[in-house]
Amino acid sequence: MSPLEVLERDYPLIDSSFRMFCASHGIFTVQDFLVHDLYELEAFAERDYAQDKLKQGIAQMVSKIESQRRPWLNGLELLEDSQINKGTLSTGCERIDVLLQGGLREGHVTELVGPSSSGKTQICLKAASNVSRKYSGTVMYFDTGNSFSAKRIAQFLSQPSDPADIEVNKTVQRVMSSIVCHSIFDIFTLLDMLHQLMNNLKSQIGCQVRMLIIDSLSSLIAPILGGGGAHGHSLMLTAGFLLKELAHEHNLSVVVTNHMVAGEAGISKPALGESWKSIPHVRLLLSRYNAINGSCISILKHPYLAAGKTTEFMVR
Amino acid sequence: MEVSSLPISASHRGKLISAGYSSLSSLSSVSPSKLAQDLKISENEVLEILKVVSARKWVDKIENRSHAIMNGAQTAWDILHEEESSICITTSCSDLDEILGGGIRCKEVTEIGGVPGIGKTQLGIQLAVNVQIPADYGGLGGKAIYIDTEGSFMVERASQIAEACAEDMLEYNSLLRKDSQACRVDKPPKAFMDNIFYFRICTYTEQIAVVNYLEKFINEHKDIKIVIIDSITFHFRQEFEDMALRTRLLSGMALKLMKLAKKFNLAVVLLNQVTTKYNEGSFQLTLALGDSWAHASTNRIILYWNGNERYAYIDKSPSMRSASAPYAVTSRGIRNSASNCKRVKLM
Repeated sequence: MSPLEVLERDYPLIDSSFRMFCASHGIFTVQDFLVHDLYELEAFAERDYAQDKLKQGIAQMVSKIESQRRPWLNGLELLEDSQINKGTLSTGCERIDVLLQGGLREGHVTELVGPSSSGKTQICLKAASNVSRKYSGTVMYFDTGNSFSAKRIAQFLSQPSDPADIEVNKTVQRVMSSIVCHSIFDIFTLLDMLHQLMNNLKSQIGCQVRMLIIDSLSSLIAPILGGGGAHGHSLMLTAGFLLKELAHEHNLSVVVTNHMVAGEAGISKPALGESWKSIPHVRLLLSRYNAINGSCISILKHPYLAAGKTTEFMVR
Repeated sequence: MEVSSLPISASHRGKLISAGYSSLSSLSSVSPSKLAQDLKISENEVLEILKVVSARKWVDKIENRSHAIMNGAQTAWDILHEEESSICITTSCSDLDEILGGGIRCKEVTEIGGVPGIGKTQLGIQLAVNVQIPADYGGLGGKAIYIDTEGSFMVERASQIAEACAEDMLEYNSLLRKDSQACRVDKPPKAFMDNIFYFRICTYTEQIAVVNYLEKFINEHKDIKIVIIDSITFHFRQEFEDMALRTRLLSGMALKLMKLAKKFNLAVVLLNQVTTKYNEGSFQLTLALGDSWAHASTNRIILYWNGNERYAYIDKSPSMRSASAPYAVTSRGIRNSASNCKRVKLM
């Protein structure tokens, strides 16, 4: 509901006489301007004595509104964008890559949901180590539960060969220097960090970011969700939309983890509720298969793969 | 950046949006008096809002950085070096230390749960004493905070354990330092007791208040290295009708404890109770407070009985394998189990 005065600072044509003209047609805010019939307004402007200035003012308002909206794209452009810019990143677990037909896709927000100690953090660490080793670019890891273990990543990286080898050590150093970890303990800091990341990527400062992992998003949102007010809800959705925008605009793969809560009849269901379900592009459900570090992963939701496909995996 | 994602009160947010200030940039050049007039609130409140806004204004500025590292972030390589040089708090039982990767780690929240009588409080008191072992003996030389919600902290037992620890240190000193280094007057048991800060909590609101107060307290006593909460469940299990409120309070508390652990580089140990869960046709023993609390800790250890022996099982850890180890509670505190089978069982 921004009043028109706010625009005068940046657009001197929207001066007081223009605003009086608008007020005479019942237009006081930008929203009023948008719903008004613009042809009719222009016709009235023609008959006014300062018609040029008024018509310029209307044109400027219209062009500012146009500049805010996103460009139209057709299906062919989207397909080309997806084929050229949005590849798949291998997670490092062969069976999960096979399940997802290649791995985690750039441009997708992938959610890993599962009960405690089902392997979510392990997959995140493994994917971080694999992506930073195989592909150039940094991996950003936002850690909310102090579960980022650099020791485990070093283990993953030195697995195929002898850890005492000097060459391996240099590789480990190079790869681990491109994994950036940040500890975040509340939702407002998360939103700040995401905005800053978006600004950095837009102005192309620093090197390319390939993957963003948030482990776990649900522990940031759980303290504010529910309780009568809708503010927690809106913050969750704001974060979700920011993640989707980051993924699509800057060709990142975003991975978030979620936990389970008790649902009806004692069956567990993913946390964060119904409205969160539509935010991630891909939802993967993990469950502990048995105590020997084996887990089961199945697709809950995917844009083009069948839901219900399952596989077992083990992160060594 | 939007005004709706600023941490300000709901009424201020509503007033800002209805007056037309929906983005940070619109607030950047307005004078406080005009804003007070538009929103019809006092100038003091306006200054509060502008303080929050200016703290976030740097987000929109494009900084000239050569690397895409944001404030406070670290690369994994730096974290690896930090982890390798960090000292763990020993539990005085070498089997238990082995499966934990050296002991209880700083910067992490460890949750320990078990049936009544298994030794949770004993382990808590042992850790409160062991954190004070000086750096010469491989310890942290720090102080402890013990938050007691059940009233199970026994001062006489703590003094007994402290005496045993001091005796062990003297023995170590005489065994290994055979040179002429003067045998320093090591810590008398009273010194151990002086370094344990004790809080007694009677309701859940007091518990939340203490967790909020801890940051200020630790700022004043910089050498605190462990915070033990015994137990975290007690006041949340009874009389809570509103389960959604309980979940929100618990997850808020968990985040604050995580932040404390990371910011002040200390260990947080939470002692929990157990409950039964109906899982796939059978009743299983599991830690209390539900599924959403399971994600509040970095590591989870479950203590259980196996025949006549006490065992500890690592249920969740980012870097250690699931394994179990036996331990015993003796008059000197937690020690290795005296059974023949000393092998650590990998599960």
